[in-house]
Amino acid sequence: MAKAEKKKLSGRKRDERVAAYIFVAPAVILLIAFLVVPMIYTVYFSGFKYQIMRPDAMKFIGLENYQKLFSDKNFWLALKNTVYFTVIVVPCQCVLALALALLVSKKFRGVAVFRTMYFAPQLTSMVVISVLWSVLYNANPNTGLINSILVSLGMSPIKFLSDASTAMNSIIFMSAWQGAGYQMMIFLAGLQGIPRDQYEAASVDGATKFKQFLYITIPGLKGTIKYVIMITMIQAMKLFTQPYIMTQGGPKNSTKTLVYYIYTQGFQKGNFGYACSIAAVFFVIVVCMSMAMKKVTAATD
Amino acid sequence: MKKTISLAMAAALAVSGAATTVPVFADDVTNITIWSPTDRESIEAWWKEKISEWNEEHPEIQVSREAIDRSDSYAYDNKIATAVTSNDLPDIFYVDGPQVSYYAANGITVPLDDYFTDEDKADFVKSSMTQNTYDGKLYAVGATESSVAFYYNKDYLKECGVDTDDLDSRTLENPLTTDEVAEIAEKCTTDDYVGTHIIMDHGEGLPYALEPLYLSAGKDYISEDGKEADGYVNSEEAVNTTAWLADLIAKGYANVEPITDEFLNGACATMIGGSWEIATLEQNADFDWGVTYYPVNAETKKAVSPCGDWAAAISKDCENADAAGEFLAWLMNTDNVASYAAAIAKPATRSSAYETEAMAEYKEGARALIVDQLENTAVPRPRTPSYATFSAAYAEAMTNIFSDAASNEEADTDYIQSEFDTVVDTFTEDYETYYAE
Repeated sequence: MAKAEKKKLSGRKRDERVAAYIFVAPAVILLIAFLVVPMIYTVYFSGFKYQIMRPDAMKFIGLENYQKLFSDKNFWLALKNTVYFTVIVVPCQCVLALALALLVSKKFRGVAVFRTMYFAPQLTSMVVISVLWSVLYNANPNTGLINSILVSLGMSPIKFLSDASTAMNSIIFMSAWQGAGYQMMIFLAGLQGIPRDQYEAASVDGATKFKQFLYITIPGLKGTIKYVIMITMIQAMKLFTQPYIMTQGGPKNSTKTLVYYIYTQGFQKGNFGYACSIAAVFFVIVVCMSMAMKKVTAATD
Repeated sequence: MKKTISLAMAAALAVSGAATTVPVFADDVTNITIWSPTDRESIEAWWKEKISEWNEEHPEIQVSREAIDRSDSYAYDNKIATAVTSNDLPDIFYVDGPQVSYYAANGITVPLDDYFTDEDKADFVKSSMTQNTYDGKLYAVGATESSVAFYYNKDYLKECGVDTDDLDSRTLENPLTTDEVAEIAEKCTTDDYVGTHIIMDHGEGLPYALEPLYLSAGKDYISEDGKEADGYVNSEEAVNTTAWLADLIAKGYANVEPITDEFLNGACATMIGGSWEIATLEQNADFDWGVTYYPVNAETKKAVSPCGDWAAAISKDCENADAAGEFLAWLMNTDNVASYAAAIAKPATRSSAYETEAMAEYKEGARALIVDQLENTAVPRPRTPSYATFSAAYAEAMTNIFSDAASNEEADTDYIQSEFDTVVDTFTEDYETYYAE
């Protein structure tokens, strides 16, 4: 009797296990097909001299592409630009998102309208937004909205996108504006997880709004903040659409990012093997940065 | 796979309401797919009409076309590149003139000599044939040619005191010089107008539209055999020519970020613009305008004009090249070339096409001027397998040079030289890595 029961149980366990595998399968298959296999291919192709038009004339050259990479000043420049973008945009975007979340977390008439408005840029394709901002930023005051305002205020127009010293910052500004809505939503969810009574107790004890923010909101959002910083950072490292549409990596390479560089090498110039080696190094950089980030935030716990 | 494609095609035809009952079994049918850039409505309609005409007459060779977006950059070329790596090339695809050598040298396209008779070949204009030939073989055939000329807003120029009758009377023997262009641009630059317009599409438009200025100064971008860029694109002549252009930007006579249709919208007084602008201006301009020959270098006075246009090629992945060839020969016959050219408002490549009704407009006026340029001064872009790399590097260098000029309000020849040296390095590396024997 007991033996039969045990057998039955293990049978059920087996069924559960099978079911679990079936549930996981679609995700795993998709991950393998669209992430693992391409990754393996990337590393594999990075060992070849491979002109994109001539897959038949591939030649194995070992680590030569990597050697070339480390002495390629354009690679270092692209890395520098990418890191600059990330270092500036992540804090700006996160602070902006948190501020917006705090604004719309209050209950007042029409709050839903504001939430939707702040989130709206997220719903529009980055390509559309980039085209739109190219017009806003246009250097000619007769065309560019921002410059026409500047000129009407008696200032001289700024060559936002066609001057090497302002192009990247212009992209950072519009990226933070576009991206903040998404992080705002996550912060909003985090804010709702903080118990109301903590604030009530604090205000009974006479804590100011600022102190409440510092000692209740921030610690309460710790997990959310970590998550938001991490995804924003990874997103920022992958910057491509804005420079592709708005500046084509220029002027004077000031907005050439790593992913844009991979694209120009691989597709415009056809150096597919070399592009793969940059992609592989890029992957390692992003993984290292994420791990370092995790270490840093873990240490604060 | 073949069956699925046929089925999908049949379904598509049924939906579009253009289905005709074809009493042939799917397996006996050769399906030919074409890729070409998305174009204006009249051309999209032309394609629909021609394809259904062919499909009705040839139940055994069924043709379909996919319009691919080009978006004034390298988007279409990227699509071809990815299709090569995944072996997904269509049977026939359109290629921009200078890319013919690139695809031919890499074995992406196959020779078309068997499908066109010598008589046919002699009927095509020389500039088009030269551009589409690589290593002595014909790799692409196009229905139209293109050119670039100097447009001017007559109403506005008169206001500025420019003698427009003089501009109207210019011929190939005494075309405008670069000095005169700069002079007009200076005269006509005000708060509301810039003096002139340079094509700024960050892609092939730059090397295409500007090459005659370099040729007129005495040096092409690349050596005639397509192997050397050093001493050509970075030569003194090239640097001076570019400095002249950058100077227009630096002095504010041309915009570094021009708006779309700047000339048509009455925001610039003159422009160095494509032959396709004629049709647009005829239909939409609310001012009196004129067009004259491509400007020449002030010292050499040598007249040169750009040419080259998109042309059809058969891909290496085409399973039935003879069927594709038969279709192409039909697609490029005199009548089709004439109606296509008329629809797209570009000059036709076949001399015989000009005798047809459709091309009657090309006998005089602005269009005749374009044909005159094509027949007498057109020079195709360099024929080198490294053209794609060159084009991207040159466009990048020019964008940098122009924004440098705009920021510093002067043209810096040292900077131009260093940018062009980079172009040379990029070209040489590509050529030596992949094509040098």
